[in-house]
Amino acid sequence: MLREMAAAAIRTSRLSKDYGLGRGLFDLDLTVRAQEVFGYLGPNGAGKSTTIRVLMGMARPTSGSAFIFGLDCMRDSVAVKRKVGYLPGDVPQFGSLRGSEVVAYFGGMRGGADPVMVRRIAERFDLDLSRRFREYSTGNKQKLGILLAFMHRPDLLILDEPTGRLDPLNQQEFYSLLNEARAEGATVFLSSHILSEVEHVCDRVGIIRSGRLVRVAQLDELRHIRVHRVEVEFAPDATIPEARIRAAAGVEDLTLSDRRLTCTVRGSMEPLLAAIRDVDVTDLVSTEPSLEEVFLSYYGEAKPKALPS
Amino acid sequence: MTAIGLALRLARWGILGFSVLAFVSTLIQALGFYQVAGHNAADRLAFARSIDILASQFTVLLAPPVRPDTVGGYVQYRAYGGLAILFAVWAMASAAGAFRGDEERGLVEAALATGTGRARLVASRVVAFALGSFLAAMAAGAALMVGVWSGGETIAFRGVLEEAAVLAALAVCCYALTLLVVQFTSARAAAAVAGIVLLALFLDNSLSRTFSWLSTARWASPFRYYELSQPLVPGGTFDGRATLILVGGALVASVVGAVAFGLRDVGSPLVRPLLRDRPPSYESSRVTWWRIPVLRGLYEHRLGIAAWTAGVAALAAVMVSMTKSIVQPLLDIPALARFFGSFVHGAVFASFLGFFWFTTAQLLLTAFAIVQVARWSADDSEGRLGEALSQPVSRAGVVIERTAALTVGVAIIAVVSAAAVGYASRAQGIDLDTTRLVEASMLLVPFTLVFAGVGALLAAWNPRAAVGLLGGIAFGSYLATQVGPFFRWPDWALDLSPFKLFGNPMSDGVDGRNLALMLLLALVCFGASILAIQRRDVGA
Repeated sequence: MLREMAAAAIRTSRLSKDYGLGRGLFDLDLTVRAQEVFGYLGPNGAGKSTTIRVLMGMARPTSGSAFIFGLDCMRDSVAVKRKVGYLPGDVPQFGSLRGSEVVAYFGGMRGGADPVMVRRIAERFDLDLSRRFREYSTGNKQKLGILLAFMHRPDLLILDEPTGRLDPLNQQEFYSLLNEARAEGATVFLSSHILSEVEHVCDRVGIIRSGRLVRVAQLDELRHIRVHRVEVEFAPDATIPEARIRAAAGVEDLTLSDRRLTCTVRGSMEPLLAAIRDVDVTDLVSTEPSLEEVFLSYYGEAKPKALPS
Repeated sequence: MTAIGLALRLARWGILGFSVLAFVSTLIQALGFYQVAGHNAADRLAFARSIDILASQFTVLLAPPVRPDTVGGYVQYRAYGGLAILFAVWAMASAAGAFRGDEERGLVEAALATGTGRARLVASRVVAFALGSFLAAMAAGAALMVGVWSGGETIAFRGVLEEAAVLAALAVCCYALTLLVVQFTSARAAAAVAGIVLLALFLDNSLSRTFSWLSTARWASPFRYYELSQPLVPGGTFDGRATLILVGGALVASVVGAVAFGLRDVGSPLVRPLLRDRPPSYESSRVTWWRIPVLRGLYEHRLGIAAWTAGVAALAAVMVSMTKSIVQPLLDIPALARFFGSFVHGAVFASFLGFFWFTTAQLLLTAFAIVQVARWSADDSEGRLGEALSQPVSRAGVVIERTAALTVGVAIIAVVSAAAVGYASRAQGIDLDTTRLVEASMLLVPFTLVFAGVGALLAAWNPRAAVGLLGGIAFGSYLATQVGPFFRWPDWALDLSPFKLFGNPMSDGVDGRNLALMLLLALVCFGASILAIQRRDVGA
């Protein structure tokens, strides 16, 4: 236990933030290991930003506890923030301050930002720091937010939907920046509702829905519980064992049109293959599901499905 | 109708707040009249004479009273004189907020995206404000009628209605002028520029009462047309032509403003300089101030502090230069000279200036405190507080740094204004006690800190309501010093008003007990705000 605590960059225990009417965050038990990139997935309003705001000490938990590198997020909030780089979901409004002044201001609050890092990030994003914040486009405002989070080479990056306002080229630049931070030993906690983003950079993924963590898994693990979309074409003279296929474990949404059968298969393909073993099949196509489809199949339901652990 | 309904909904808190403010302030004045004016003709005539003398000190702000021996004349002067200024400020803030502030928040784009035309949007906002301001003006009228009824007298409803109409017409005219002006400014400067324009128009009229050379220009001021009607005074007048000029002015300014709005890009002023081509910079600012606590806050708001300092100092110099021209004619009246002699010991000009200037300075620095609190609230809602707290600083540290920066800012304003008063009075040949001038000027610092402390507490508790509540508290505490003694309020209640605690240090010196009370109040409020901000979710 002690070893786990020492290794954990983030650890929460029954962490709750109750806004009433069933909104908020409930009983979150989560551990993010040091030097891993953790994706925190969920639809809008699921509780991702609430989790991050509690971790950052912006919102007080209703109950439970949260620790960053063993430090209490509320009691030791100043010490915590020395180790953290934070990108909020909404970039703050800095009005008529220039980008360079915003960087100097918040860098000054930290006792100084790394000028090499500032220049490197500003250059790679082509962010002109001599312009006023008010003149920045939405994407440039987001780049400034990223710069503020990374400029002091933090041990832990907490990023709330970091790429939503970036164009694809800048998204790629961001991913490479993230990989460099990771290579230098940083831990990353990244919230997103964009699954391709998580596929790009994350080691592990937590899925949150309606304020509750429903699953934490390695990306590979998540793919093992994926849904297969299967199309089977039978030979013209074959007798299609429809009842047997319908009864096979994991087979859902079956439709039969002429000689072509389509269905989805949850979990293993073996029961379906066993059901059609004695039949002449001319074609069988199984489509690899993207993480997005897995995700949607989760959230397409009224209640989260229980997943095999 | 939908657009007007939406505009009314957006403005509902302003309408409600100003209606309550108008009702309360008018009711207090009407009730106060029966407490202090006496119950027979002789008493009321004596009372009217004292009001005339008091009013002579404020001709730079308010028109002289007409028949202050009657409740209508008294309330016209005491309540509606201030309400005209208050409604103008409301109109300015509402129009700047509706046409540039809402653009910043994306509300204008959202409204235009629904298919609402720009002209229609302008018309709906103007009509909604007109309805709201008339409602608030009628609230003042209702308070007057309640007050008069409590005194066992009656007042013509027609006069009350006419006064509400002319007050609303003034407010709408100021609203339309602001909406026109802000089409030409950046969003950031909108309220400031509109405020300067309205202040200039106000001073154009009010200073023309002292400086005759200005009288040829007062036709341009809407406040002039407001003053031409005195419908509450017995046998008073409602100048229909002047009121029509106000309405016509509002119409013209609205139409021109709508045309300008139609010609410009949403989010930009009508005339926008092109961005200059220059090589990009990827460096952080090298200015050292950004790295030093307190100084970075002052440096960030350096332009605002400089503008406040210059504005307050300039006004101080103007007031000093007007002192002799206001007081001398009064001293030439033997009866008034004896009257002044009864309470002014020593130099009349110096005593008058001390009272006149420091009353104005208190009001200005109260406004300064409210502006700072508005900024603290905006820091919270616009994410800057969250960004600051994501750095290794504590919430208490943020409050302490803000307080320190505010203290230094107020001290700068106080010192420069003291220098301006000292220099201008020497130039005018008015012999001021330099020590007392410095002490009185520095007393403005704890005075401002009391309001700022209350504001910090409110902003920590509920940032969205902080500015409105602080404005109400400031207004109430000023009113308390005006009417509290008449209603025999207890001393402890009056001592809660910083205006009472400030006293009249130029004449009486600095009262150590009152200074200690001000410091204690400020300390308690800032301390409580530190406790309150610990418990609140940032941005909530």
